[in-house]
Amino acid sequence: MISLDTFLFILASGVLLGGLYALMATGLAIVWTTLGVFNFAHGTFVALGAYIAWQVTQSVNGGMGFLLAAALSVIMMYGIGYLLHFVLIKPFERNANLVLLAVITTLAAASIIENHILIGWGPRDKQIVPPVSGAISAFGASINIYDIVVLAVALFSLLAMALFLRRTSIGRAMRAAAQNREVAELMGLNVSRLYAMTIGLSAATAALAGVFAGSLRFINPTFGTDPLMKALIIVILGGVARFTSPIYAAFIVGIAESVSVYFLGLYWAPAVLFAMMITVLLIKPEGLFGHRSRTL
Amino acid sequence: MKYAPPFHRTNGFMPVLLALLALVVIPLFFSGTYARHTLILVFIYAILASNWDISLGLGGVFNFAHIAFFALGLYSYGIMAKIMGIDPWIALLLAPVLAIVFAAMLAIPVLRLEGIYVILMTFAAAQLMLQIVVSQSEYTGGTSGMVLLPRLTIGEYRLSNDGRIGYYYLALLLLAASTAFLYQLERSALGRAIKALRDNKYYAIARGVPEGRIRLLTLCASAIFPGLAGGFYGAYLRVASPDVFGLGFLTITLSILLLGGISTLWGSLIAAFVITILTQVLGDYGSWRNIIIAVLIIAVVVVYPGGLHAALQELWAAENRVRTNLMAAFRRHFGASARAAAMKAPDRLVRTTHGNVSVCDTGQGDKVIVCIHGNSSCKEVFRHQFAAFRRDYRIIAFDLPGHGASPNGNPERDYNVEAYAEIVRDLVDALELGRPIVFGWSLGGYIGLEYAAAGNPISALAICGTSPINKFPDDMARGYIATPHMELAGKRFHSPHEKSQYATHTVGMKKGQEPLLWQAVWRTDGQAREQAFSKLKTINWPRQTRLMRDGTLPFAMINGPNDPFINHEYCRSFHYGNIWGGAAQNVGNAGHAPFLEDHKTFNSMFREFLQTLP
Repeated sequence: MISLDTFLFILASGVLLGGLYALMATGLAIVWTTLGVFNFAHGTFVALGAYIAWQVTQSVNGGMGFLLAAALSVIMMYGIGYLLHFVLIKPFERNANLVLLAVITTLAAASIIENHILIGWGPRDKQIVPPVSGAISAFGASINIYDIVVLAVALFSLLAMALFLRRTSIGRAMRAAAQNREVAELMGLNVSRLYAMTIGLSAATAALAGVFAGSLRFINPTFGTDPLMKALIIVILGGVARFTSPIYAAFIVGIAESVSVYFLGLYWAPAVLFAMMITVLLIKPEGLFGHRSRTL
Repeated sequence: MKYAPPFHRTNGFMPVLLALLALVVIPLFFSGTYARHTLILVFIYAILASNWDISLGLGGVFNFAHIAFFALGLYSYGIMAKIMGIDPWIALLLAPVLAIVFAAMLAIPVLRLEGIYVILMTFAAAQLMLQIVVSQSEYTGGTSGMVLLPRLTIGEYRLSNDGRIGYYYLALLLLAASTAFLYQLERSALGRAIKALRDNKYYAIARGVPEGRIRLLTLCASAIFPGLAGGFYGAYLRVASPDVFGLGFLTITLSILLLGGISTLWGSLIAAFVITILTQVLGDYGSWRNIIIAVLIIAVVVVYPGGLHAALQELWAAENRVRTNLMAAFRRHFGASARAAAMKAPDRLVRTTHGNVSVCDTGQGDKVIVCIHGNSSCKEVFRHQFAAFRRDYRIIAFDLPGHGASPNGNPERDYNVEAYAEIVRDLVDALELGRPIVFGWSLGGYIGLEYAAAGNPISALAICGTSPINKFPDDMARGYIATPHMELAGKRFHSPHEKSQYATHTVGMKKGQEPLLWQAVWRTDGQAREQAFSKLKTINWPRQTRLMRDGTLPFAMINGPNDPFINHEYCRSFHYGNIWGGAAQNVGNAGHAPFLEDHKTFNSMFREFLQTLP
């Protein structure tokens, strides 16, 4: 039997992971639901976001530096994502093989970004210094204040994104383009631009996740692989039926991961997650919270 | 109907034989291990990419666990040879077993999923394999992998001796076996079932293709040679590292497949050379190498999606155009006397809206006969009619564009039945032929029908070796007997064997009997064949049917009873308003070209028909 504080510790670290994963997976999910393609470069967006932020914190110290780094990273990644749409997806959006072609071009983009990181920043591990430190203890378990801040900001950003998609005219236009491209075009919406904005938004959330992940652990050029795998598992596990589906799934995966790391060891945890995902794919391919159709 | 000639009778035979010979001889000149090592890597990548095409190209199954087959082959060789102590050769042969089992297991979820889910599931399954391999570190060495795997030896001789010459030939043997396997698979019943499921799943299932079993066989077949290659890789490099599961390996193999062109066996083999040698050349640039390769992938996908194979096809088509055009130009200048001797009349070029055509015209007489030859033939096919009718008629024959002594035309504009009919109209205007009698043979029969149906001046029409068509393409299947030669009629590139087959069957001749016709098959622009056939669907067929049914135009159909192509039963059952003799007529024992094979009987019958005309 495990003690209460161990249980709380596992739960807390699982929830923190879940918050980060939710940020990563939601970005992947909005691209999937809107453009119908799977972005294999999403993991490298996370890594690139983290490196941009690290670069900024090298010149500006302290809490202000961190805030500036996060903001700059998010804005730059939005721009990069926006532009990448015109290179990776736009040229063959009418092609019958779009799904396969997008896999190939995004894989290539992942390779390009990863190698640029390697050239620009070198292979050595780096870490973004967290702006706050200290811990609070509750029920005998000690929890870092920074972890709580990360979780709160992640959830707040997701809430803000949900409100943006539902309450603003641009957000509604993006959902319209996702739900029916032809009708959206007939209504006079610039669907290409909306698609580009969707990828930009996805890259921006990836960057935010990267900044947090980079301040919780070390970053290196292959840092993007793990977030990509986790986002992939989450999106399949939860489905993309609603905006919230991958968020719930992210917390399930986060908690499952911390439980299996604790009980089975570090190496077995990914195998458990993949096995979970394959089981869900076999029984309910549309995901735990999914319906057959995709919406935003 | 399927047309599958044995490999040594196809166009691919000589290039493949030469490439194989070159690969056998190359290591004798390049004794350095670096060149041989590079080529061994080329062979391994070529096996991986071309076998991936079974699932990705032929089957349309987006299997992203393909590299895991290779990795599983590598690790099973390592475990069997090093830990279980099995003889390395047996371990190499058993290496694909685990990969095939994994492929069979993949088939179950793949059956239930579609599109992007297949990619994600197979991708995840490969990652799961990686995690399992990494977690079993007491057997697999975990993240650092296995080293010092047993090497392959024959007796006391190590394959790595003499600059790895043994490994080189073993890898070449594997590649040759894999290529032969793929070539046979694509042409087998299984290969056609795999393609049928890709192209129209529900139709294929309705026709009795078992989806589950075929998908299972697709994945298993694509795992055999990657598994073997994995075992070979382990024996060759003597290292098994989990890196082979990584995205880098996947991306390079995928780029080979794409650059070569999906669903093309030879394309990915050529691309394996290009990409692998490029990566070796760019080796000094470190990370820039991967960036250049990735940019190349995006550029190919965006700018030239057909890949190298499509480029080669275009190059071949261009070569064919230039060569046949030069051949025609040469014959115009140097073969004129031979043609004039056959026809007893000179030929000359006449300008039409579809370019210049070579016309042979006897030039005398008020009544005019225009003869139109068939596919891949020439105007000299009518020389017996020239001899028999020149006294009473002005008789004219011409070479279609891309045929005989006429220059090549524009493939899009000039190579179709409507364009050919317009050429006849232009000739009637230019040579002031009035209302000619038109005689068309085979494809020329459709040209004659189209010319008449379009309302051009004509006083009578005779066709030969042509099945009238009302509903396209259904009536093609009824009007013609399905033989491999029908396939040849619309095929762009004939191999020498196919050319002589075609020449023999269309005019019932042996080699040497009809040199001008024999040459004509060689001279014909391949695109003329392909375009004329692929554009049959644009013809206004019902208009031709109405023409024959209304019966306002005197019409005759004179066939050879031994014609290997047309369905005589069908030709008789067609409705004709005014057909000479009340039905389609037969000439003696002739085949597809009665006016050539049994010209005496044909000419007397044709004269009878002409005498019924006012």
